[in-house]
Amino acid sequence: MSMSGQYLNTITENASRLGMRLQESFSEHTRDLNLSRATGSSYLEGDEKLKDIRRQLDSNSDREKLDAMKRLIALISKGRNVSEYFAQVVKNVASHNLEIRKLVYIYLLRYAEHEPDLALLSVNTFQKDLTDSNPLIRAMALRVLSGIKVPMIGSLVVLAIKKCAADISPYVRKNAALAVPKCFELDSSHLPSLIGIITTLLNDRSPLSIGSVAFAFEAVCPTRLDLVHQHYRRLCKIIVDVDEWGQVDLSNLLLRYSRTMLPRPIVKADGEEVDKDIELLLSSVEPLFQSRNPAVVLAVTRIFFYAGPPSYLFKIVNPLLRLLSSSAEVERIVLVYVNVIARSAPHLFAPFFARFLVRTDDLLQVKQEKIKLLLVILTVDNYAAILRELIDYVDDPDDSVASDSIQGIGRCARLVPESTQQCLNSLITMVKSARDVTISSAVLVLKHLVQLQLSTSSEFPGTSQSPFKIIAQLAQKIDDVHHAQARACVIWLVGQYAASEDKGPGPEGVADWAPDVLRKTAKTFAQETPLVKVQIITLAAKLFVLSPNDRILALLSQYVFNLARYDMNYDVRDRARMISSLLAGVIPTSLMEDSERERAGVVLRREQVKLVLFEGKSGIVEDNSGHTDNISPIGTLGLVTGKSMQLEGMLSDWLENGVESSLRDVDESVPPPTPVALSSAQQQRVRVKEMSPIVLTPTGGSSLDGSELKDGVSSRGLFQDLDKFYEDTESLEEEEDEEEEEEEEEEEEEGSEGYGEDDDGDGDATEDNEHDGSIQEFNGEMSNHPSSTTDHTTLS
Amino acid sequence: MAIDGLIIVDNTGRPIIQSGFRSTPPSYPLLHIDALNNALAKTPGDVDPVIYVSPYNTVSAAACCHVKCGDIRILCPVSGDVDPLFAFSFIQAFIDILNEYFGSVSAATLKDNFDVVYQLLEETLDSGGYPLTTSSNALRDIVLPPSLLTKLLSVAGANITSSINSGSGLGSGPFSSPIPWRKAGLRYASNEIYFDMVEELKAIVNRNGTTLLSTVRGTIETNCRLSGTPDCQLSFANPQVLADCAFHPCVRLKRWSDSKILSFIPPDGRFVLAEYRYAPNQASASARFSNTTVPATTPPLNLVRDHVALPFTLKPAVELEGNGGNFNITLTSRLSTRNIENLVAELHLGEGAGGIKCVTARGGAADRYGRGVEGVGASWAFDSNKKILRWEIPLVSPSSSWSLRGSFTTLIPAPRPSHAMQIRFEIQSHTFSALKVEQLKMTGEVYKPYKGVRGRSVGKVEWRW
Repeated sequence: MSMSGQYLNTITENASRLGMRLQESFSEHTRDLNLSRATGSSYLEGDEKLKDIRRQLDSNSDREKLDAMKRLIALISKGRNVSEYFAQVVKNVASHNLEIRKLVYIYLLRYAEHEPDLALLSVNTFQKDLTDSNPLIRAMALRVLSGIKVPMIGSLVVLAIKKCAADISPYVRKNAALAVPKCFELDSSHLPSLIGIITTLLNDRSPLSIGSVAFAFEAVCPTRLDLVHQHYRRLCKIIVDVDEWGQVDLSNLLLRYSRTMLPRPIVKADGEEVDKDIELLLSSVEPLFQSRNPAVVLAVTRIFFYAGPPSYLFKIVNPLLRLLSSSAEVERIVLVYVNVIARSAPHLFAPFFARFLVRTDDLLQVKQEKIKLLLVILTVDNYAAILRELIDYVDDPDDSVASDSIQGIGRCARLVPESTQQCLNSLITMVKSARDVTISSAVLVLKHLVQLQLSTSSEFPGTSQSPFKIIAQLAQKIDDVHHAQARACVIWLVGQYAASEDKGPGPEGVADWAPDVLRKTAKTFAQETPLVKVQIITLAAKLFVLSPNDRILALLSQYVFNLARYDMNYDVRDRARMISSLLAGVIPTSLMEDSERERAGVVLRREQVKLVLFEGKSGIVEDNSGHTDNISPIGTLGLVTGKSMQLEGMLSDWLENGVESSLRDVDESVPPPTPVALSSAQQQRVRVKEMSPIVLTPTGGSSLDGSELKDGVSSRGLFQDLDKFYEDTESLEEEEDEEEEEEEEEEEEEGSEGYGEDDDGDGDATEDNEHDGSIQEFNGEMSNHPSSTTDHTTLS
Repeated sequence: MAIDGLIIVDNTGRPIIQSGFRSTPPSYPLLHIDALNNALAKTPGDVDPVIYVSPYNTVSAAACCHVKCGDIRILCPVSGDVDPLFAFSFIQAFIDILNEYFGSVSAATLKDNFDVVYQLLEETLDSGGYPLTTSSNALRDIVLPPSLLTKLLSVAGANITSSINSGSGLGSGPFSSPIPWRKAGLRYASNEIYFDMVEELKAIVNRNGTTLLSTVRGTIETNCRLSGTPDCQLSFANPQVLADCAFHPCVRLKRWSDSKILSFIPPDGRFVLAEYRYAPNQASASARFSNTTVPATTPPLNLVRDHVALPFTLKPAVELEGNGGNFNITLTSRLSTRNIENLVAELHLGEGAGGIKCVTARGGAADRYGRGVEGVGASWAFDSNKKILRWEIPLVSPSSSWSLRGSFTTLIPAPRPSHAMQIRFEIQSHTFSALKVEQLKMTGEVYKPYKGVRGRSVGKVEWRW
């Protein structure tokens, strides 16, 4: 009992002591805590402690260092240049505290460029880190090493990437792939070894890293699609398991590959002829339509739109419609793409026109795109609903939307003859509107419609309304039209179509509504804008030429010409002078001024003047369908901004027949070097006979240890088999079309053209051997890596 | 495909945080910030989400994609032939991560945790502009979320981050999980999984009261707090109402297409399991297509119109005069048992509108006695900056009717109000699709989890007059 009592005593004593200690340290630390909690934003505000940073960075306490680093990052964030602390910061690159280290990395990535010599000090640490047991550390080291822009360490970086490309962790391999473009950007002379690394990485079985490999491929060697042959089918099968960002890049790579290397799907009378590799691609990516990431959905859409046969195209409709409701920004972009697709296949979207109806709270660009789209998918079935909508949109508070929709109404009238009457009615009502933009657009559209009709027939189809009646209506409303452009337009219309054979109450040869317009406008001439004045002059001239014997008209015209002669605007004066000399042969001498009477030069007769004034005007019908000749492919920035951003993004056109499909055959008896965790992809059986001539064989010259010697021998054995295989295939191939072979050769020449100097350069070798050579070379370099070793052993 | 970087600016247009722009001149991010601020100054409310940035000196042409989020704006400069959708997807992913880490996104929280944001940027965006790790489960292993605990511990000198560094515990370190989206070795005292079905109705009604468009999109938001590596199978009693689905990467697509069962190993924490469109006609759009071999055949129009009934009707009567207008708007609930909550109706009155006088009343009474009974809780307000008249009714009880009467004047002669009212509302514990979860089976773990399912509806209706 006493013993236990003693124990109990000591325990309680200890406990109370511990409690005291805890309390002490806690109160001490909470003081710090308050301090540190308050700092969060104070880092960003105060800078009284700047001079302390150096001392803090040199101190022994992690907390001080961390504090200093946060201060530095805050300064960076404020746009301050803090490169002066580089030396102190670099010392902390090997800190055992990961948080400090990460902040140091952030600092290094921004300033290493300015202090390349000091940055070299950190390189050793990174190289050491590359062998760390933690994949996160290895990846981070590589990321910083490849991210600091110090060209001196280029070859070092290449070695580091090569090492990481063979790492067991897919995360590290992913970072290795991402480092490749950075290294290339720093020094393009490393290209051959970088392509070697990409070739290795393309073998990667992990879906985690393959996406970034595709990214690196596109950035470094986009033309070397021949490297993808062997991997095409496998890539198709694993794309479902790839991470979302990787899916985008991989899809684009596969699309480019299929456009370059596969035969174009052919539509025949009895169905479509689609290459089985294209079918494989389409069926592999189709599930990705169900991705939540809009970029993935679009990448798949691109594949279906640019590589799929027409019968597959309907599959893109619902996914695209789904994207429209995801967010305002996404809607804005997707509508542009839908517009492009709808232009080539309007029937796909026509039934879903209700999904494109404009909401008043849509973004301006969204409204414009939707109106464009509604017009593209306009059909006889849906025109009534769409037209009603367009008429509604004219009320939109935004002027450009209103004018777009009025132009849309005009387009509707032209495309669907049934709608013409309704369109004309609504346009004529709009001319009475109180809103300038509505009137001017309506008048302009009416003008186009009238002109178009007059150039073909005299009546609108399906209506009793003659174009002249519309002009007459416009002429009567001239007082209500205030917008300069619209007014000018009406006046021009009146003048152009004033000729009439009917005997009316007015002067002969002129429609009865025309002279009144001249009278009204002559009265207001002084207040008109130059644009309108010029048209009034033209109107006067035209009416005068049509009816030269009418005295009132002649006087009116003369009045207008005189006003114009002394106008402030020289365009107006010029026009007046030009017109009056044009009319010199028609104007009765009684009205002519003395100075003009004895003018020399050519004097035109009335018929000639008429020809000059009236002819050749009717054909000017503006096509506002918005077609541009040079449409960037969907999924590019150029299409969205409407400006040419970069022409390299253009998709190449199909090859006539594609390259031989046997190039894509792989000997699948080789088990994958790393187990595939997620892929449920079915292994494809491939006959050995069709095995591609490109085989991974190590060169004899590479340093060989025991195991490699063995597989070197074994693969040489395989090579001997291949000779036999060559004989077999040659006899097979001879039967095939010769053209195909030629093309394939051409293609391969093209493919290797750009990088000719980078290849091993055994120029006298045959096409196939050339590739063989380059791959053999890379293989020789790789032979130290564990993964490639496994490759080799399994080959036997 | 890669973006050029990421910039976070506050509501005054000043950058708070920006990623390192590795391969562009130093002026590049500034050009983009300028372009955005200029665009915002020109048209405050309505900025194109993709702003073209013209070439300047050595900087080639580019575009600035931006998204507003709370009081900050996230900019994402892109150049070349990059798909802007890629940028927007990344911005969205980054916003999700920020939400996950800080609970809410605002300039203040980002400033408080700027070091964490910088670390997050570093981990989510490679310096070459390629997205690295965007799954929050994996990120939480690399960048510790700021919590009082971690702050306390770091102040107390305990170095938790060094445990990542040690690398000895391969079982629990980062990237040790065989499933990329799920953390390994999770343990919870109580195992729970909740599904929230949130459906959003978007509709347009024309001036005759005819519904032109009504679509319902639903999301299944999931909060998963399960130990170990559970394998879940969620089945529905009426899966045929689901169309145009989109899923979280964890969902096995094959199982869904074969048997309409959502089979997945969930990530930890909150995530969106699936999105769908409610297809009232059981023949969904894709099914209609499947029989058509000739691509030119278009499905009949009436089939495409699968309308969802709106929960209320609106009778807007607006008269415009020379210098103003009168309006009398009546809203009647069509629901017989449920309440419509937080209903907000907005009307843009156009340039120069002012002098608003309004009476809002609860239905019936106003007609009988000629004067309005003050509506309980209903209120109206006028935003004189945006010229928006806002009418709010916190609770619309079943079959009740509400009215708003009033007038406004304008400074410019012809009033030009927007010809549509925007109405937003919520209905609790209700889904338009009546999607019903049949069961959630769980395999792979022995415990019995607590399962919860909840429905909620929101709506956004445009009613034209």
